[in-house]
Amino acid sequence: MAATRALTIPDVYDRFVKGKKVSVEEWDYKITPGNLTALKEKYNIKFEPDQIVPEDKDLCNRLFQAGLEMLVTTGYYNQDLGRVMHVTEEEVWEGIRKTPTKLEFGENKDKARFYPRHGNSNVKPVIQGGPTGSPISEDVFVQVMQSYAQEGIVDTIVNGVMTTIEGHPAKTKTPYEIRATMAELRAVKEARVRAARPGMGV
Amino acid sequence: MDMSGLNMLAGWHGAGDIIMIEQMPIMGGYTGGPEETAICDVAATIASFALFNCDIHLDGPIHIRWGTTTTRETLQVAAHTAMALDYNTDLLLGNQYYTLAGPCTEMCLLETAAQALVDTASGRELLSGVASSKGTVQDKTTPMEARIMGEASMAACGMSIPEINRIVDNIVSRYEGNYLHPPTGKRFQECYNIHDLVPSDEYLETYDSALRILSDCGIDF
Repeated sequence: MAATRALTIPDVYDRFVKGKKVSVEEWDYKITPGNLTALKEKYNIKFEPDQIVPEDKDLCNRLFQAGLEMLVTTGYYNQDLGRVMHVTEEEVWEGIRKTPTKLEFGENKDKARFYPRHGNSNVKPVIQGGPTGSPISEDVFVQVMQSYAQEGIVDTIVNGVMTTIEGHPAKTKTPYEIRATMAELRAVKEARVRAARPGMGV
Repeated sequence: MDMSGLNMLAGWHGAGDIIMIEQMPIMGGYTGGPEETAICDVAATIASFALFNCDIHLDGPIHIRWGTTTTRETLQVAAHTAMALDYNTDLLLGNQYYTLAGPCTEMCLLETAAQALVDTASGRELLSGVASSKGTVQDKTTPMEARIMGEASMAACGMSIPEINRIVDNIVSRYEGNYLHPPTGKRFQECYNIHDLVPSDEYLETYDSALRILSDCGIDF
């Protein structure tokens, strides 16, 4: 049956609430590994040891079908609710069709543009430079981020995690956590300005 | 997914933000070996778009034993997942970098270059990194790792897949013997002059040495 429309976040929440109750142990130890093993056998998914990048297009297509079937038949787990939601294949395709295939990060002359490369295109991917969530000291945070922003090959920025704020550990679920997050954003903005690339996407 | 994630997504959608969802499957855990993990990775990536309405996805298959994305097995998971999605959709795909070795070491640069070749050749649109020293040691990450990620990616663009596989096999074989005792490297403050923000002579020499090794492996910079 055709999908009514692509799912929204409230749709997903409603389906989680009405979904089947499953314990996290059953999901992790039984349902997930059991279904993955069955789909691996059904679609004959076997990687060649000497091919880190696959050279067999048919294998890639079978892998895509196995992944799609995994999502549709197994569903998705919400660990807070302990429930599983389901989605139809038609709804999955409707969601994929709704997704933009082109994006722009950043502003003005510092803007980075994304569009599908497809295979090993001659066009290089967007290079996002940064500590990628690694812990960074508060006293050098701006300098670390500025040093990434000044790299010519870097197109967009990904920040690190400020370990303290005003000397206090940026502990999760405390007011220091959000203060540190806000300080990170200010620091990255300052770093981009110092590197003369104020419009870089973050 | 948890309720905090759903609530944040609802807020970002309301604000009209560009949403990147990050998801890192653990190879060797509940999802089993490389093939099973790749199936799960494809499913979770599709779900990020179709269920959670992201605009671009950031992958990062992690090895359960080594905690990195640069092992032979996790590179294989990432590449197969990306190409499965690349052949069947126009979705925008990224990957992130977690190396075992620390900054200012040849191994860290070789790990990064190997993954950059794999991600570029398998059609990904975004390379994001680098979290050197597994992203767990304070201040052990520098822009020189991001530089090699970009340079290796540019060099790999347009190369044939069999050629990429030969080169990547050569690079990985040069560092995978060091997994038990990887070089820990140096902190940002030891690698850069923090006033002028320029890399140290030692790191520049290490970088040049890594480029020579990569050239010997077949990359034409």
